[in-house]
Amino acid sequence: MWTRKAAFTIVAGLALVLIGMMISNHQMMILGFAFIAFITVNAWMTGHGDIEVQRTLSADNLYKGDDLYVELLVINRSLRRTQTLEVFDNVPHEMKLRSGLNQMRLDLAPGESARIRYVLRCPLRGHYTIGPVSLRHRNTFNLGVEEMRIDHHSDIIVFPQVKDVEEAFLRSRTPKMYTGATTLRTPGQGSEFYSLREYVPGDPFKSINWKAYARTGELMVNEKCRDAVTDVFILLDAREISRIGTVLKNPLEMGCVSAASLASYFLQRRDSVALAVYGDGLSYLPPDTGDKQYFKILSTLAGVSHTGEMPLQAVTNSVSGRFSRGSPVFVISSVEGDGTVPAAVRDLVGRGHDVTVLTPSSIDFERLVSRIPRLSYEVLRMERQNRLTSLASSGAQVIDWMPDMDLAQALMQVRGY
Amino acid sequence: MAGEVDVQSDITHSGGHRNTLHLRNLRKQWQILALQVIATVALVWMYLEVIGTYVVGSIDHTMLFDTLEVIMGSDLPLGDWLTGVGRQGLARFTVPLVLGLSLGGSMALLAFQPPKIQQRIRIGVIVSLIVLLVGRMLLAWVGGMILEFRLDLPNQNELALLQWPLMLILSLLVLFVYLLPVIMGTRGIWGLSRQAVVWSIGFTLLFLGLHAILTFPVVLNQLGAYGEGLSTLDTQVGTPEVGLLGFKLVTSQQLSLILIAVLMMVFQESAFGVIRHLEYAYRLPESCKRDEEYVRQMDNVLNSHLRHTALYLTLTGLATMVALGFHGVLLEIVTTTTGSQWASQVSDSIELRLTYGVVISALLFLGVAATLRLLVPWGRLAQLRALVVGNLVGGSEDEAPKENVWL
Repeated sequence: MWTRKAAFTIVAGLALVLIGMMISNHQMMILGFAFIAFITVNAWMTGHGDIEVQRTLSADNLYKGDDLYVELLVINRSLRRTQTLEVFDNVPHEMKLRSGLNQMRLDLAPGESARIRYVLRCPLRGHYTIGPVSLRHRNTFNLGVEEMRIDHHSDIIVFPQVKDVEEAFLRSRTPKMYTGATTLRTPGQGSEFYSLREYVPGDPFKSINWKAYARTGELMVNEKCRDAVTDVFILLDAREISRIGTVLKNPLEMGCVSAASLASYFLQRRDSVALAVYGDGLSYLPPDTGDKQYFKILSTLAGVSHTGEMPLQAVTNSVSGRFSRGSPVFVISSVEGDGTVPAAVRDLVGRGHDVTVLTPSSIDFERLVSRIPRLSYEVLRMERQNRLTSLASSGAQVIDWMPDMDLAQALMQVRGY
Repeated sequence: MAGEVDVQSDITHSGGHRNTLHLRNLRKQWQILALQVIATVALVWMYLEVIGTYVVGSIDHTMLFDTLEVIMGSDLPLGDWLTGVGRQGLARFTVPLVLGLSLGGSMALLAFQPPKIQQRIRIGVIVSLIVLLVGRMLLAWVGGMILEFRLDLPNQNELALLQWPLMLILSLLVLFVYLLPVIMGTRGIWGLSRQAVVWSIGFTLLFLGLHAILTFPVVLNQLGAYGEGLSTLDTQVGTPEVGLLGFKLVTSQQLSLILIAVLMMVFQESAFGVIRHLEYAYRLPESCKRDEEYVRQMDNVLNSHLRHTALYLTLTGLATMVALGFHGVLLEIVTTTTGSQWASQVSDSIELRLTYGVVISALLFLGVAATLRLLVPWGRLAQLRALVVGNLVGGSEDEAPKENVWL
């Protein structure tokens, strides 16, 4: 595509030729012809984007706030020069360049390569894609520009931050919140032997008990005990209302951090952790243990977005039947705009669950972005206190989580109500 | 984008001296200096061609100074050695040209000084000019009033003291106007000012345009005796003397005009190129300025710019020459291949030598040349050339990508 300069040059050239003809001035005509000849000759000059790119990332998955090191290798595999080429690696706008630059102006000889290295800071959780690579060939004299694109993508997941909560539990009024590792006498994923059973297609070969097979003549497999101490259920509120606050500080972001931190804490204790995220619909991750479950939980949390208005009662009605008896349940919600929360919590407590409501204070988040008159704030605050007191009176442990409060600090008030 | 950030920790440098893309280093780089020198040479050459074609002996400054001296009845304050009065041809512009280059260079140098120093120098120049203009007169007038202890208006003798500084400033102003393209051009090239380069080119084009209008026969007749001094170019009819590959294409006067056009483009593209590349380097974050990869690619880009300036602007000049003499080439080919009388009849036709014939044939050539871009597989040819060159020099080595540089 011709640039404005080229258009101006060609128009000026033609105008000079025409005016020169009109007033019989050879100087003008020659100047005009020279301009047109300049454009004609430059039309022969072409660059190309026939290059290969390879992107190397320091990690495919990282935690919010971490740095991502990116290296883009650009290789000219063709047999001619690229000419002046601007290479631009498209990075998600949520990420911030911390060092280096994601673009370079280069001119590669055949077989030559160049490395573009830069560091990105990932301040927001989510699923992101780096790429495609945009190329722009610019004529040496800035007469023509040609834009191209190489569809080379790299996917990364930015997990929510995981904070250390162990200290908080140790400092809580109860010496240890849950009873510790005891083997559940139920079959499942684990390390201890539970029983023998007949082989069914689909069972892994490594679980076949060859001695039993030799003895009985039938394929038998070892079943293991579930290693989990107990099942921990985390219900995360991702409704539209949870977006109150700033992009970095809002109930949903804090909820994701707390859900990830709690999951990390309990999975390290070899408990099973289940996660239910509700907003537009219900996304339920059944209880499981181990690194795989940890990855699943973090991946789910990375993709959580605030949408919908699903009430908590609908969630508990739907999934409470799957909850193990007496297992602890964490409800992470601002408890705003949902009148069913007290009933749902009462229902869970009534079923014998140890319910903890971790509730980011949405009024205080709103204060971060808009000015609330003092009197209104006091009234809203009082309403919220009443709501939390009502929840606490249902038998749940309620934690009022202020925006500037660390998670561990918030969990210390677990028995505050 | 990333602002001024620290050096990437993973980037290491070995050895003592190394290149960076900081302006203080880049301004000393040979490619940048070469482009600036090319631009300056093109500017001076273009200026000399323009004044040699239109100004010298026609409307040059020495003639104006002579006229002023006759009107004033006294010599101008500037010496003849400085103004070029009394010399012949382009020699009249030798000293003024050096002065113009020096002034442009000084202005460029001033542009790189801290704002405080710039302000001081500007104030100093203004105060000097004021003192030069009215200093002697004020000294005589006020001194006289103090000595004689009276209060009155300056007399004729005291006012006459203004004549010399006024004439000096007028002479300098005349020289400044004549040398404006050189002064502004030099300031633009070395002071990295796009505006100054545009001023230089704009002023040259304005002069050429005004000259073209004034030498238009109708206007020239209206000017009467005043227009006699203007040099008109009788370039439409003439026998081509300068040629290429055995074909006579253009007259020497046409070649001079082509040279002006091409030199103007060389000056413009080299000056703008330097500014564009330095702007790019300036905007890079600190870590990139020190990154050897960026330095290497900047070298490549600058080398390409130099190559393209030499190649494409030479081709532009040649294409313009061929375009202007294309009708002659066609007729020559027809004559030699067919031997028919038609060609010689047509070549004798005044129509072809006049404007329309030249314009049509020139545009025809340029059209064909532009179409060649689509017909000839330039890409393949370039690849073939690269292959041959690559084989000759032993081939290029592909750099294998590293596994994972971060681990």
